[in-house]
Amino acid sequence: MKFLTIAKKEVIDISRDRRTMIMMVVVPLLLIPVLLGTVLKITKSMAEKASEKQLKVQIYGQEYAPDLYQAFADMEKVIILDQIPTDSIQSYIQQEFLDVAIHVDSDYKVNIAKNGQAKIRIQFKGTDSFGITKDRINGVLKKFENQIISERMDRLNLKPEVVRAYNINYEDVASRQEKFGKIAGGWFPYVFIIFGFMGAMYPALDLGAGEKERGTLETILSSPASRLDIVLGKFLVVLLAAFLTAFLALGGMAVGIQYIPDIPPEVLIVINGVLNLKTIGLIMTLVLPVAAFFSAMLLGLSIYARSFKEAQSIVAPLNIVIIFPAVIGTLPGMELNAITALIPVLNVSLASKDIIAGVINPVYMAEVYASLFGFAGLAIFWCVKMFNREKTIFRS
Amino acid sequence: MIQVQNLTKDFSLNKKQRRELGEEYKDSKTLRAVDDISFECRPGKIFGLLGPNGAGKTTTLRMIATMLIPTSGSICVSGSDSVSDGQKVREKIGFMTGQTALYDRLTPTEMVKYIADLHGMDKTTFQKRKNKLFDVLDMHSFADRRIARLSTGMKQKTSIARTIIHDPPVMVFDEPTSGLDVMTSRAIMDLIRSCREEGKTVIFSTHRMGEVNQVCDDIAIIYKGRFFYNDTLDQFKEEMTQPTFEDEFIYRVGEA
Repeated sequence: MKFLTIAKKEVIDISRDRRTMIMMVVVPLLLIPVLLGTVLKITKSMAEKASEKQLKVQIYGQEYAPDLYQAFADMEKVIILDQIPTDSIQSYIQQEFLDVAIHVDSDYKVNIAKNGQAKIRIQFKGTDSFGITKDRINGVLKKFENQIISERMDRLNLKPEVVRAYNINYEDVASRQEKFGKIAGGWFPYVFIIFGFMGAMYPALDLGAGEKERGTLETILSSPASRLDIVLGKFLVVLLAAFLTAFLALGGMAVGIQYIPDIPPEVLIVINGVLNLKTIGLIMTLVLPVAAFFSAMLLGLSIYARSFKEAQSIVAPLNIVIIFPAVIGTLPGMELNAITALIPVLNVSLASKDIIAGVINPVYMAEVYASLFGFAGLAIFWCVKMFNREKTIFRS
Repeated sequence: MIQVQNLTKDFSLNKKQRRELGEEYKDSKTLRAVDDISFECRPGKIFGLLGPNGAGKTTTLRMIATMLIPTSGSICVSGSDSVSDGQKVREKIGFMTGQTALYDRLTPTEMVKYIADLHGMDKTTFQKRKNKLFDVLDMHSFADRRIARLSTGMKQKTSIARTIIHDPPVMVFDEPTSGLDVMTSRAIMDLIRSCREEGKTVIFSTHRMGEVNQVCDDIAIIYKGRFFYNDTLDQFKEEMTQPTFEDEFIYRVGEA
């Protein structure tokens, strides 16, 4: 039971380490909601700004289509210009003195009258926010075009069915939860995985390489605690930190989402449905073995390092190794199958996606658990071996 | 009592280490850090293990403390074998090095309690022993302050308290005064003397001849892993051909 004494001491020790506590509590609980909120707020305000913007429009050949010109002039938040020479249009648009130049062909009226197509050329700068300029101009043109078509139909005594041969009605049987799970579900596990890893990182470095650097390793090695007690005690604390960080990250997201302005209520219902105890509990059962895998691996590497600094440089590239499968899991086409269920980290990402969508296959789920517990076991075994190797423990 | 019989320790060498060690180790797969040494440390006596840096002192002491496993030979600490009964050995020893080896974020009380808990001390015994030690070392005023905020002297006192909290019959000191100022070194030397007075078995490694003269009863001189002197300090003094301890030590190392 000496491992519990070691674990108890390590909990006190790391709970007083500001770096660990910031990474474990402050970042997931505060940073995620703040970042999430800020990003969405900025996106929204930029979109609003773009749609609120006064569009500067010049219509060339307005005399050929006075009614179309009038439709643009009647648009809200539009300034119609008429002074810009044709050869300067491009540079004016580039420098944003002009937003849109509309060119109407001289035979506009003739083509419209004989039920033909009138040519309209539009110049604009496609780098503006969200393509709102294009949408606004397109809106006016579509409305006007529909009006012309309907006049033509009346004139020719035709029904709308003549030009619309199909009456298509899509019925999507996927529930909102399923759609949300498949599209956004991948990002939830991405957050747990990254935070689980980051939460384990500092305690693992501190409890392994940090102990070596401070010279306290000899103190504990010469105590009656066995090597297994030492590894187990330290491992449990790193695991606790990893698990708590992942859990708090989830909490941070759940809280953050509630404060995001203007989420459609039906989407919020789906999100809250997803964030229920059963789903979270099921996901956490996946986080536990993956956190155990990270913890044992990081602790083993940390004890191998001579110093905290060396441990950091060994562990830093692992971030990419972890992020890569987690990101792959968020890709739309990636699905949980007999093979992907065996790949650690990726399997957590994919399984969580299916859990959130409510379509998890129990056979694959069992495979995921087997793989995760297997890898966690191997990592723990390796970590114990590292602690038992004289060359590692006294590497200098 | 510590009994060491034909103790040998080899460390395997990788390519880089072989290159760094030069011609002598070019084709050698191992480095012999301790080579067939035998000695005995008696209760109530201080055994000084002398030698220059890299002579094999720390390796020997780490084997006694069960941190390293001997390649061959045996170590018996108060009746327990260091390989087959490592935990029993660790229960009987107090191990101290030159570094204070403390946890900065704990307080002296917590630090000492941690070691006591690892030794399975019950609450009452711990409280009594802790109070006694904190009285003797005058530690009460900073007992609940974080170790990181303590002065070097306070840290050293904490280190002493954590080494002897479980009242071990055997004390292992690995260059305990290296890097310390005169005042703190003296506190350590006093501790070593008091251990002898309490009848403990003390083994103490150093390369400072002055310290040997101050406290040791028996001495062994180790160089390149081998003993080339192992007897009482008085005998050593009698056999001296050089004017000072330091000269004699350098002379003997040179002869070896």
